Amino acid sequence: MKLPQGVRDWLPHELARKRNIEQVLRAVFGRWSYEEVQTPTFERFDVIEKGLGNELTELSFQFNDRRATMLALRPELTTPIARLVSTRMREAPLPLRLSYVATAFRYYEQPQEGRMREFTQAGVELIGSPGVDADAETLFMAIEACDEIGMKDATYDINDSRVVDGILDGVGLSGSDVPLAKTMMKERNIVGLRTLDKPVLVEFALRRGGREGIGKARKICKTKDSQAALDRLETLLIRSAALGYGDRVSVDFALLRDLDYYTGFIFEGYLPEIGFPLCGGGRYDSLLPKFGYKVPAVGWSAGVERMLIALERRGKHITRRKHRVDVLVSGADVVASRERAAGNTVRYASSGRNEAALIAEAREHGIPRIVIAEDGEIREVRVTPAPEKKLPKTSTPRKTEAL
Amino acid sequence: MLTIAVPKGALYEDSAACLRNAGIDVPDDVGRKLAVVTSDGTQLLFLRPSDVPAYVEFGAADCGIVGKDVLWETDRTVSELTDLGFGYCRLCVAARRIDRYHEGAPLPTFLRVATKFARSAEAYFAERDLPVELIPLHGSVELSPVVGLADLIVDLVATGNTLREHDMVIVDEIAPSTARFVVNPVRFRTKYDELIGLLSRLDGTVKA
Repeated sequence: MKLPQGVRDWLPHELARKRNIEQVLRAVFGRWSYEEVQTPTFERFDVIEKGLGNELTELSFQFNDRRATMLALRPELTTPIARLVSTRMREAPLPLRLSYVATAFRYYEQPQEGRMREFTQAGVELIGSPGVDADAETLFMAIEACDEIGMKDATYDINDSRVVDGILDGVGLSGSDVPLAKTMMKERNIVGLRTLDKPVLVEFALRRGGREGIGKARKICKTKDSQAALDRLETLLIRSAALGYGDRVSVDFALLRDLDYYTGFIFEGYLPEIGFPLCGGGRYDSLLPKFGYKVPAVGWSAGVERMLIALERRGKHITRRKHRVDVLVSGADVVASRERAAGNTVRYASSGRNEAALIAEAREHGIPRIVIAEDGEIREVRVTPAPEKKLPKTSTPRKTEAL
Repeated sequence: MLTIAVPKGALYEDSAACLRNAGIDVPDDVGRKLAVVTSDGTQLLFLRPSDVPAYVEFGAADCGIVGKDVLWETDRTVSELTDLGFGYCRLCVAARRIDRYHEGAPLPTFLRVATKFARSAEAYFAERDLPVELIPLHGSVELSPVVGLADLIVDLVATGNTLREHDMVIVDEIAPSTARFVVNPVRFRTKYDELIGLLSRLDGTVKA
């Protein structure tokens, strides 16, 4: 009875922790006035292919229906939402603010922690706002969401892909060297960049910090686009500082994400002890036009499991409530119904148990109160917690007999 | 404080010397220890060279030293910050001298290639449209043509002594390899000042 590679079960106490994170994120999305949408788990493959770059298209699970229409499990949510907006929400007034918390699927050859074949993404799309205000909104919302989850020491790097284009142009690269250099910037492959014989490029690939870097980039960038992008990065730094995020937001000119996808602003969030990014996002102004709706868009998302890993790694995962069940009821439907109506969580005891057995059951589950109906009489028993508090065991299943 | 993955084996002495030149107090004799903390608080992990990328990708080590030959064979995402210059060797296709492949003798139809570098070998033969049967081995690759397991081998050649001892010759050179200083891409950001500092000291030792 084995599971396929890269997927997992969620036991009650594990799922409770995951749901907790999802609830916090949903609450933050709601406070920023984003409305949740849902799209199908699978789409026509041509939709996925149209929206995504090669990188993610190649990772998608593909299959056919009985008429041989190519289908794919969604490898992320931005493309399905772009399809949804450009087909069903064209009349909706802009800007649109949409959010999602949903599973996504990627065919990783070697699934690993934080890189599962089925995972949960939570994120938002801000559609129809071309300006730096929208970039700032996504960045500050991500910071607020991560803070709320308990990651107040997370730091954020920002960049703009048009600045990278401006630097490459400014140092005199052209032709096939441009995509090559961009890939090497993204990987921060300094050894590779050195072979292009542009020392300034290496300097920028290693540069990370505040406004002084923007000043240096202004001297290299010649295009109007890249100068405008530098203005926007500077604005983001100023606004971050004003919000008290000054020492948590830095410019990293080598920060690039999926190259076929992002057209401008890009950011990622990091924790000091976790080796992978916690969340990330950016601007993808060319995505919706691919579906025939000429509007800009910016968004961010986080891997819920990755956040959970990060929290558990630092022993800070959101702990369970003191008790999950409020009252244990024996033999009284009316009482049980009244308790539920009062908003309490009620557990039914099997009938015919004596008081000692009921107390033992209540202790086992950390239930503070028992209501017993016996011979037309109703009495309540307060249960003191057992001297030793049992913590939920880890998720490792006990050894079962060999299959 | 940084945690640095240091390869054991052929690259160890040069790696230790290079880190010492960069101001890290690598102890002279680490004996059989798997990890030590130096007097300046840096943690050093002594690893099998092929394990270095995994430690760095997951952030168990912030950075490390590893041969380019190991990076060719891994999917692990690490950033290559500098070429340390030592540990030079070449990945080569080699065969028995008497088979005369190095003089252009026709290769057999069902070509068998033994190697520890399956990915690099596969890419090399695929680029040349040569159908081959790859035989991934873990050691003593030069024995395989001698006993008839393979027609060719793909292996690292440093001095060429091992090939000569088995009366083998280089048929083609695939690529040169040297030791690289690699970092975890996220750790580069969260420990930027420390890693940039170490990088510039390492670069200083390379140029000197």
